[in-house]
Amino acid sequence: MARTITFIDAINEALHQEMERDDRVCILGEDLGMGGGVFKATAGLYQKFGEERVLDSPLAEGIIIGAAIGASLVGFRPVPEIQFADFIGDAVDPILQQAAKLRYRSAGGFTCPITIRVCWGGGTGGGLYHSQENTVWFAHEPGIRVLVPSTPYDAKGMLIAAIRDENPVLFFEHKKLYRTAKGEVPEDLYTVPLDKASVRRPGRDMTVLTYGYMTSLVMNAAEEMSKRGVEAEVVDLRSLAPLDRETIVESARKTSRCLIVHEDTKTLGIGAELVAILNEEAFDYLDAPVMRLTGPDIPPVPFSPPLEKFFMVDEQKILAGMEKLAAY
Amino acid sequence: MATKVNRATAVGETSASRLSPELLLGLYRMMVKCRMCDEKARILFRQGKYAGNFYSNVGQEAGEVGAAYSLRDDDWVAPSHRDWTSNIIKRAPLKYCFAQLYGKADSPDRGKSTPAHMGYPELHVITPASTIAAQLMIGTGVAWGLRRQGKDSVVVSFCGDGATSIGWFHEALNFAGVHQLPMIYVVQNNLWAESVPLRLQTALKNLSDRAKGHGIAGVSVDGNDILDVYEAATAAIARARNGEGPTVLECKTYRWYGHSEIDPAKYRMKEEVEEWKRKDPIPRFEKYLAEHKLLDDEQKKQVRDEITREIDEAVEFAEKSPYPAPEEALEHVWA
Repeated sequence: MARTITFIDAINEALHQEMERDDRVCILGEDLGMGGGVFKATAGLYQKFGEERVLDSPLAEGIIIGAAIGASLVGFRPVPEIQFADFIGDAVDPILQQAAKLRYRSAGGFTCPITIRVCWGGGTGGGLYHSQENTVWFAHEPGIRVLVPSTPYDAKGMLIAAIRDENPVLFFEHKKLYRTAKGEVPEDLYTVPLDKASVRRPGRDMTVLTYGYMTSLVMNAAEEMSKRGVEAEVVDLRSLAPLDRETIVESARKTSRCLIVHEDTKTLGIGAELVAILNEEAFDYLDAPVMRLTGPDIPPVPFSPPLEKFFMVDEQKILAGMEKLAAY
Repeated sequence: MATKVNRATAVGETSASRLSPELLLGLYRMMVKCRMCDEKARILFRQGKYAGNFYSNVGQEAGEVGAAYSLRDDDWVAPSHRDWTSNIIKRAPLKYCFAQLYGKADSPDRGKSTPAHMGYPELHVITPASTIAAQLMIGTGVAWGLRRQGKDSVVVSFCGDGATSIGWFHEALNFAGVHQLPMIYVVQNNLWAESVPLRLQTALKNLSDRAKGHGIAGVSVDGNDILDVYEAATAAIARARNGEGPTVLECKTYRWYGHSEIDPAKYRMKEEVEEWKRKDPIPRFEKYLAEHKLLDDEQKKQVRDEITREIDEAVEFAEKSPYPAPEEALEHVWA
């Protein structure tokens, strides 16, 4: 039975159900136990599973990830949480140098099945240090998945799949989606494949590649463009590492025009990699240069409302980008 | 509450007089083995037999062997770059240890990691990275997991004096203190962090005092006295097995050679090096064993001859082992 729930309820339900199913699953991080998490993503888990499995950690991101890595080596399936992506700095060595490389440097002798939940994204007045996206710091590193679900259905199914996956995973949850994104979600446990992009809307005239919170904005813009006679195909990447090259290239070859939309800053954002892939694998099919619509190259995200609005990609900016591409 | 372990009370259980001759000779033989393997590794590097670099542990064998000799197979070791010999102490077959130096297909990581960065999954030695103190956090996580599984296994981690300055050392100790984890943090204080002297590393005189800030046990020992180390390590391991929490065990010692084989270590005074060479842990222990009629010159020669043969076989195996196929570089990235 499916019912309509929010993105954050889908996360919470996935954790409840997977922890019930598999007693190797445990979570740790700041304020997520007795407090239930600053966004209540982990509400009720402490009461149900106790401190052994739902641990309020010291305020130290390094050991949150380090302890999770160690516990995974003895058979646990830890799901550590980084409260805000902006605070992940202290954990960069554990994530990039340890979790992502442990399997490689031991030739498979050690594996590190941890799922790091990270809250990211702007548009909520969080300012410079509660709004950042740093997905590409990690997408650059082979050996760790970087996931960016955009719907409640994917949030639940991908989180469960991530916990069951043998690879280390960074699971980025956009805070703007937590309570604004609602959708049909099955009550039962299910998984969503972790390395497949999703074609959210088929179209023949252009491809828009996006992910996370931007996906719903792009979908709205695509509907508006349809009224104007342009049918856009919307590809929700879902995974930034590895990228689903096949779906990306197939769509571009079909529509011959591509717009990339992301909230992240422009220089060396994932859009740069997408342009390179399209250049390598779809060049002969394209009728226009691939365009990028992204955050500007300034520290994300300045606080004052007009400054934040300036930073964030919104529906109007997307419509303008789509018009420009259609007119090329 | 920070506690300083009172060694006077710990002596009774593990004092040398109560250690069996087999154990004493075992400790001795292992120290000599580590020394000879390490010196052989250095020679092979200088002969150009393998690429990369090597981080010698020579001079620090008492701390290494004293802390890890009595570990069980189900106990874990989290080594640093200077603890290649911890695999030997954990009883990893010597031929694989030398294959590791050569980056051959028979190395435990099939040539993925550099010569000294060796782990041995079957014996729970965690393959290390070069980033300092990361192994302490991973080891602490293992200890957390073991504790939650209700096991009485312990984790021994190794690091140098430099590692005690970085934040992750403290994050690890703090977490282990909160949860009273079965961790033994062995700090091989060899007075030099690469080329930086201890006086520029910390104002502390005893690095075991780091433990006080985290409410856990800390003890400093003469790191060139195998029995001193063994006794303190045995007590720390026993406490860890009993759920009585972690210990920082500082072994005051000295690194005879440079940070690595390409470091001539000219920043150190010759007199300092010579002084510490006179405190060589191996002759010190030989003297003790001779005084107790446990070792004579003939036995010493026999031990060395046996180890020489083992090393020769291991080196021959490593040299005959094939290199990994180039495209193996693509393997083991993803599960």
